[in-house]
Amino acid sequence: MARCPAGHDSAAADYCDLCGLRMGGPPAADQTDLGLERAPSAPGPPCPRCGTPGLARFCESCGYSEESAPPSESPVTSEEPPPEASVATADPVAPARRTGWTAVVTASRSHYESVMAAVGPDAPDIPFPDDCPERTFALSGSQLRIGRRSVSREVAPDIDLTGPPADPGISRLHAILIAQPDGTWAIVDPGSANGTSVNGVEIETGEQVPLRNHDTIGLGAWTSIAIVGQLSDEEERSS
Amino acid sequence: MTSAPEFTAEIFQNEYLASGAREVSAVVSVTSAGAVTTAGADTASSAEIIIVDCSGSMAAPMAKLIQAREATAAAIDVIRDGTAFAVVAGALRAWPIYPANGSMAIANATSRADAKRAVKRLGAHDGTAIGQWLQAARQLFLTRQDDLRHAILLTDGQNAHESAAQLDDAIQTCTGVFTCDCRGVGTDWEVAELRKISTALLGTVDIVPDPAGLTADFEALMTASMAKQVADVRLRVWTPQHTTVRYVKQVAPAVEDLTGMRKHVTELAGDYPTGAWGPAESRDYHVCVDVQPAAVGQEMLAARVSLVQDSDAGSQTLAQGLIKAIWSDDERMSTRINRHVAHYTGQAELAQAIQDGLEARTAGDDTTAADRLGRAVEIARESGNEASAKLLAKVVDVDPVTGTVRLKPKVAAADEMALDTRSTKTVRVKK
Repeated sequence: MARCPAGHDSAAADYCDLCGLRMGGPPAADQTDLGLERAPSAPGPPCPRCGTPGLARFCESCGYSEESAPPSESPVTSEEPPPEASVATADPVAPARRTGWTAVVTASRSHYESVMAAVGPDAPDIPFPDDCPERTFALSGSQLRIGRRSVSREVAPDIDLTGPPADPGISRLHAILIAQPDGTWAIVDPGSANGTSVNGVEIETGEQVPLRNHDTIGLGAWTSIAIVGQLSDEEERSS
Repeated sequence: MTSAPEFTAEIFQNEYLASGAREVSAVVSVTSAGAVTTAGADTASSAEIIIVDCSGSMAAPMAKLIQAREATAAAIDVIRDGTAFAVVAGALRAWPIYPANGSMAIANATSRADAKRAVKRLGAHDGTAIGQWLQAARQLFLTRQDDLRHAILLTDGQNAHESAAQLDDAIQTCTGVFTCDCRGVGTDWEVAELRKISTALLGTVDIVPDPAGLTADFEALMTASMAKQVADVRLRVWTPQHTTVRYVKQVAPAVEDLTGMRKHVTELAGDYPTGAWGPAESRDYHVCVDVQPAAVGQEMLAARVSLVQDSDAGSQTLAQGLIKAIWSDDERMSTRINRHVAHYTGQAELAQAIQDGLEARTAGDDTTAADRLGRAVEIARESGNEASAKLLAKVVDVDPVTGTVRLKPKVAAADEMALDTRSTKTVRVKK
């Protein structure tokens, strides 16, 4: 039995014999497609760690990345406590230097307006949330998945944007933050349906984009994530 | 050793859909290989019944009955040795002409000669109850277990002596038991009635306006039937969950809507009958489904179309084609309409426009009739369906300058009926 991108067991090896999705294709997204221009990405090899059929350079299921993950490291699992406290747990093996970085999630009016403008008159009717409390996540570990919780697949992302308020434009695995050897962070969009931007500039699928203090990540219809480093201004300038 | 032809199924479609779109349309082109039958190698046994209208009207004029006898004799001559066959006469009820004891004979020189002698005695009296004829043929077929069962039904009149419900019941009990080609001689029969029979029993319907044309027509029908080697071939359409099948139509050589003939196989699959196949045959099917849209960039199997046949070892897949859906944000990809799909969508519209137009004309609604038949003229011309264009030209006048379509004030009944019966004939996509 093979497992299809939507998680069904299928006796047919080419297309899922329940939902028809191509076996080995990108995972099924349950978010609203905002209709933004996104180049379809080519499927990659299966994940060497968990065997999930691959998409880009990152495993869609467990987030494994060949370039960033040390081979001996324990997998990032969904057994971690869900981030209800709005703070991701610190990875015990993480270098102390990295613990100072945080991701601050807000609803951004300017991101919302630019997305709606990009989609044009056919945009789905998604309102800007009236009330969106600021959520802060401490960045730790080697990589952190950003996305929405999937009940069916029992996968909770490290930076859980399920809400409320829920941004319907966010994929279950939307983007991944990757710890860099120098203590900074980079972001990768493994092929989300609606894309990810850094400081308003759309990033390429699978491309690892380094982040600096106060960079802003835009995703979904209105979600904005500010990356705040705790390095001194001097360190920031010299790095 | 088997001489059964091999099959191929080819899919023509544009698999790209716009974001959020759900309708997937494809043409499935099914072809049987041109295998030459070697004598005695047949594994499928066949049975033929010729049903001849012997109601009183067949004697007015007498030419109809005389030509019917000759045509039946000519068809008997074409029946291959070893084929089970019978001739049935139909009026208010049906009775056996040959063999007289109500069984089926096995074709050889002697039985064919006996049958032709019996046919010469065909008389004409009483009314018409076609349901009775079909039931009689069914009972005869069921005395044996032949793989291929085919009947030719000839009538000259309307089914005046039984109710429409009785005929419907008879058609229903015969569905799946045998296939039936229907022919109407003269112009006093009802196109809709015979079409109902031929559609359900997976045969053809046509008008033979002049009784003199019957012999050639019966010969051709029997010859085509003798070429059939594979019985009861079905189109199995599997679709993923949350998918609705809009329609499954045969679109070449003629339009036949199979949607309502679906037989449940599993929760996700159903079978549509295609009848019997001979070598070197090609038929096209238009399959249209509504799927649950997936995200842009995702690929889904919208339908798995298989040609299946039951054998001793269970269901056997003869050929298979995949209808796909890929969601794309590129409008240049998603807005393109596949040439085959466009062509057959047009041919189906042509058939419908002719039938609607003729119906409106009969009802006295000349405006609608001119409008619909005008549209038919347009499609027939654009798609190169010259047969339909010629038949249309006998019913409407087209102003060569303005293109305005006017109903001809006087139309021969035979021309109108020919247009009606042949409205479903399609032409293939130009290569």
